[in-house]
Amino acid sequence: MSFETPSLLLAFALLPVLWWLLRVTPPAPRRQAFPALRLLLGLDPVEENAARTPLWLLALRLLAAGLVILGLAGPTRGGGGALPGSGPLLLVIDNSWAASFDWAARIMAAEWVIDRAERAGRPVALLATAPRPDGTPPRLSPPLPAPEARSRLAAIMPAPWPPDRRATAAALSAAPGPGHGAVYLPDGVASADDALFARAITRAGPLLVLESPGPPPRLLLSPRSEGEALIVRLAALPAAKLAPPAAILAETGDGRALARVEIALRPGATEAEQALRLPAEIRNQIARLVLAGPASAAGVVLLDERWRRRPVGLATADATTAEAPLTGDLYYLRRALAPYAELRAGDLADLLARPLSVLMLADRPVDEADAAAIARFVDGGGVLVRFAGPLLAEHPDAFLPVRLIAGDRAMGGTMSWDRPAHLAAFPPHSPFAGLTAPDEVTIARQVLAEPTATLANQTWAALGDGTPLVTAAPRGAGWVVLFHVTANADWSNLPLSGLFIDMLRRIVRLSAGIAAAPDATPLAPAETLDGFGVLGPPPPAARPLASAAFASTPASPAFPPGLYGPENARVARNLATGLPPLAPAPAITPAATAAYGALGRPFAYGPRLLAVAALLLALDLLASLLLRGIVRAGLAAIVILCALPLAARAEMPATPNPALETRLAYVVTGDDAVDRVSKNGLAGLSDYVNEHTAASLAAPAAVTPGADDLSFYPLLYWPIAASAPAPPAGEVAALNDYMSHGGIILIDTRDADAGADFNPGGAATLARLGKALAIPSLAPLTVDHVLARTFYLLRDFPGRYDGAAVWVQRDQDRSNDSVSPVIIGANDWAAAWATDADGHHPYAVIPGGDRQRLLAYRFGVNLVMYALTGNYKGDQVHVPAILERLGQ
Amino acid sequence: MRGEARRAEALAARLPPLLLAAERVAATVAAGLHGRRRVGEGDSFWQFRPFATGDATSRIDWRQSAKSHRTFVRETEWEAAQTCYLWRDGSASMRWHSALATVEKTARAELLLLALAALLLRGGERVRLIDAATPFSSGTAALAGLAEALARPPVATGLPLAADVPRFAAIVLVSDFWLPLDQIQRLLARFAALPARGVLVQILDPAERDLPYDGRVRFLGLEGEGETVIPRVEGVRAAYRSRLAAHNAAVADCARKAGFGFVSHTTDQPPETALLSLYMALAA
Repeated sequence: MSFETPSLLLAFALLPVLWWLLRVTPPAPRRQAFPALRLLLGLDPVEENAARTPLWLLALRLLAAGLVILGLAGPTRGGGGALPGSGPLLLVIDNSWAASFDWAARIMAAEWVIDRAERAGRPVALLATAPRPDGTPPRLSPPLPAPEARSRLAAIMPAPWPPDRRATAAALSAAPGPGHGAVYLPDGVASADDALFARAITRAGPLLVLESPGPPPRLLLSPRSEGEALIVRLAALPAAKLAPPAAILAETGDGRALARVEIALRPGATEAEQALRLPAEIRNQIARLVLAGPASAAGVVLLDERWRRRPVGLATADATTAEAPLTGDLYYLRRALAPYAELRAGDLADLLARPLSVLMLADRPVDEADAAAIARFVDGGGVLVRFAGPLLAEHPDAFLPVRLIAGDRAMGGTMSWDRPAHLAAFPPHSPFAGLTAPDEVTIARQVLAEPTATLANQTWAALGDGTPLVTAAPRGAGWVVLFHVTANADWSNLPLSGLFIDMLRRIVRLSAGIAAAPDATPLAPAETLDGFGVLGPPPPAARPLASAAFASTPASPAFPPGLYGPENARVARNLATGLPPLAPAPAITPAATAAYGALGRPFAYGPRLLAVAALLLALDLLASLLLRGIVRAGLAAIVILCALPLAARAEMPATPNPALETRLAYVVTGDDAVDRVSKNGLAGLSDYVNEHTAASLAAPAAVTPGADDLSFYPLLYWPIAASAPAPPAGEVAALNDYMSHGGIILIDTRDADAGADFNPGGAATLARLGKALAIPSLAPLTVDHVLARTFYLLRDFPGRYDGAAVWVQRDQDRSNDSVSPVIIGANDWAAAWATDADGHHPYAVIPGGDRQRLLAYRFGVNLVMYALTGNYKGDQVHVPAILERLGQ
Repeated sequence: MRGEARRAEALAARLPPLLLAAERVAATVAAGLHGRRRVGEGDSFWQFRPFATGDATSRIDWRQSAKSHRTFVRETEWEAAQTCYLWRDGSASMRWHSALATVEKTARAELLLLALAALLLRGGERVRLIDAATPFSSGTAALAGLAEALARPPVATGLPLAADVPRFAAIVLVSDFWLPLDQIQRLLARFAALPARGVLVQILDPAERDLPYDGRVRFLGLEGEGETVIPRVEGVRAAYRSRLAAHNAAVADCARKAGFGFVSHTTDQPPETALLSLYMALAA
């Protein structure tokens, strides 16, 4: 605590005088009209000395006066540090990649240093330690007056490369002589030639090191592909205490976030990793990983083809018939894989000359000439998929997961008693686990494996009798997989089924991504990252670099991180590549150490004290008026109450009686995410209805059928989760009762009728519910139905999705006012209606567009109107007929 | 013209509640001031007496005479109406009320006067205002006339001139009597010389009775008496009370010497009690 003008504190000596003055000056009397004044004239008061200022008023005035004196004296706090040395000040700022995490605070700290130097009348020499983008080494500015130093400081930007300590040390040798003093803002990361730099800077005089109070810098490392998962890796300087987990976003090229993973670093740990699992198609859209938080080049990892390309090579024994329609060996493989992978066909030698993820051999024995190349491919991490056939059955070779019994087995032929075999369920260790084997897939002929102890573990798919159909074995870093049937429809109808596509995709997903091999071709920088991790044109000093040299060349102005190479084959060069492991920088001795704020602007109490004094004087005025009777006590209380800020109004508790207001309701599913969407969706719909129609809906209610009385709610929204258990009997009875007494249930399966792939078990759940509930016969909702015209005239009924059929009661039930008691759809309406606290729509509509959202709301309005007015608008259906009759 | 109409409207708006209140107050006090119990001019039958020489033949009650051999004359009871002269103080000191009372002293004074007038009129007496002309002095129309006259702003402040008060009139003076004692004395002496008798009614505000103020107060007179600062009002309260009592006693003494009654009334009390004591004092 210090004072700007301590001499003003002497005014406290005047307070006793003020006390005496206030004491002897009585307050002005109240004025009172009085008719019987004649009786009062000449009345002598019994005590004369009672007319004194009341003690509390005196204290109030003295307090106000004291606060005024104190406030004018200007007490301040903080910013107590002092600049080192005297004469020209040297200000050294690390602007390397690690400095960008706290860049704003760093620049502000530097500005405070310049402020201090300005007040002390010292010129400032600036030095930023990272090499400049034009490739020139760090340069020390001459001692500058503060305004010029500020503009120089504003021009310093963080660089996406490490500092150049050696060049900095050389520049420091040109510093003002010893004894002038220096302030250094380090980035905290060890780099080469730290000792050299420390010696150079300590020679510049007394040193003050301002350290960042923020978390230590972090560095996003290049991720690793492991099967279908992308392993995201993060490095950081070891922190003493547990830091909050770092969030990493997977973003597309245009900046949409596709996924988010959190990595928690244990105290003391320097590296951590976390798997990011995404479907292959989604994963291939990822263009970069971004560390959430302050923008920095160290928090951005660019991904290139290494992380997404999966070339698949196809080869067969007889290339002439391979592509023959419906019979060729590769015909079905090509059609199954073409949408998902890059396919190459041709000679085995040609295929293996280029990098491959998966090699598929359709009934092609491996001869001695190819064996070495294939062995290298599989051992190096490739996946070899083989299909049986007549040739393979006769000539088993070494590249098979199991030993085969010579010859093959035929079932269901004219000479056999057997019937074609069906598939058994996939074993859990198989990559096919989770796929359903359709009944129509039959195997008529196959090759047989020699039974061994490990055969069961090697079997990825088997027939109903246990005969292995797909076997696999790891070899080196790769896999060898054998389909015991042909790749065409000769031996089985497996290639004709959708299952074949799924199985092949699972196998391809097993394989590692293949990047263009590092080679010595120099790649020109195309787009490079700046210090804040934003892609832009390369700096003037950037030069081409061979991809083979990426790992050995640290980032620098000549080779900044970014995308290199031609347009169609960009190679990502990330900051972490070529950087040594992170280590904390060694402390510089001798040096004083302080936090950024040590030289900060002081906090002034003066204005606040004066404000309080003004408030007290206002109170005093009010009290004086009160004493003189000009203001009544009640009025004064009202004035004070009005002056007080209105405290946060207590939220009115939800009305306990649901009958008092009309409101929508949703069935609680127990899944928090689903319930939240339902609640927000119905709230958004209620707002929309209140805004656009005469209906007035209160906030939606969450109900549990059977536990809550449903009779108050005109409409129940019921999202069905695939995993939903069968509703208990009480719930079913409550819902049936609700429907039979005029209630409407909107059942939403939320899967856009996408089928079993997207929402496995959804259809089964709905069927289960349909059996339990008394659901009448249903028909698709058409434009002629009342629901399509209760408020808006609608042709489509989209929600978050569009196009799924909506089902309503088929027959008009006069007893229920021809109102359908149940409406079933799959368009996920609540997500389309949902709004968040800011009024935004948190869920995008698919395929999208404001029009779809509008139509979703309009369908909601129609639904509410349908629930509230029944078939009131039913006559509209007959308007054309009525008009026609009137015309006649 | 428009100003006239507005005043008439304001008057009409004010009359009925005042009259009604006055009637209500009057109804609670037993009526019956009249009845001379003597033969005289009047409407009601008093007695038959034998015809004497000199009586007008038109006064013979033929029906009664036909019942016997003598001739009878019908006599009626004498109903003597006295004129009661009323006055209320309209000065500024009367148009005031403190926080302890809801009505001004003037309003209470007018209410009492009208209630008394209603009583008197019902008893057949004549009622007039001192220093103000009223169109009627008896009958039910007189009450409305009185109210109208009271609603007019008073022409003079201070005590009435009482020049046109006839002999033997009954006089009711309503005021707070914050006047020099010799003025009251002179007026009462003038009335006593007529001779005329009556009642003084003192209307006080409760604040005037209790002096309920605290602390340092500057008191201002309402009629230009000046002002005075009392440094500590609670210290002079007892002295004020004794002065008030002395003043009232002096006024009452004055009244008694002139043959007048004295009634004191504070506005926080119901008007019925004041009317009753006024009635008793007037009937005495």
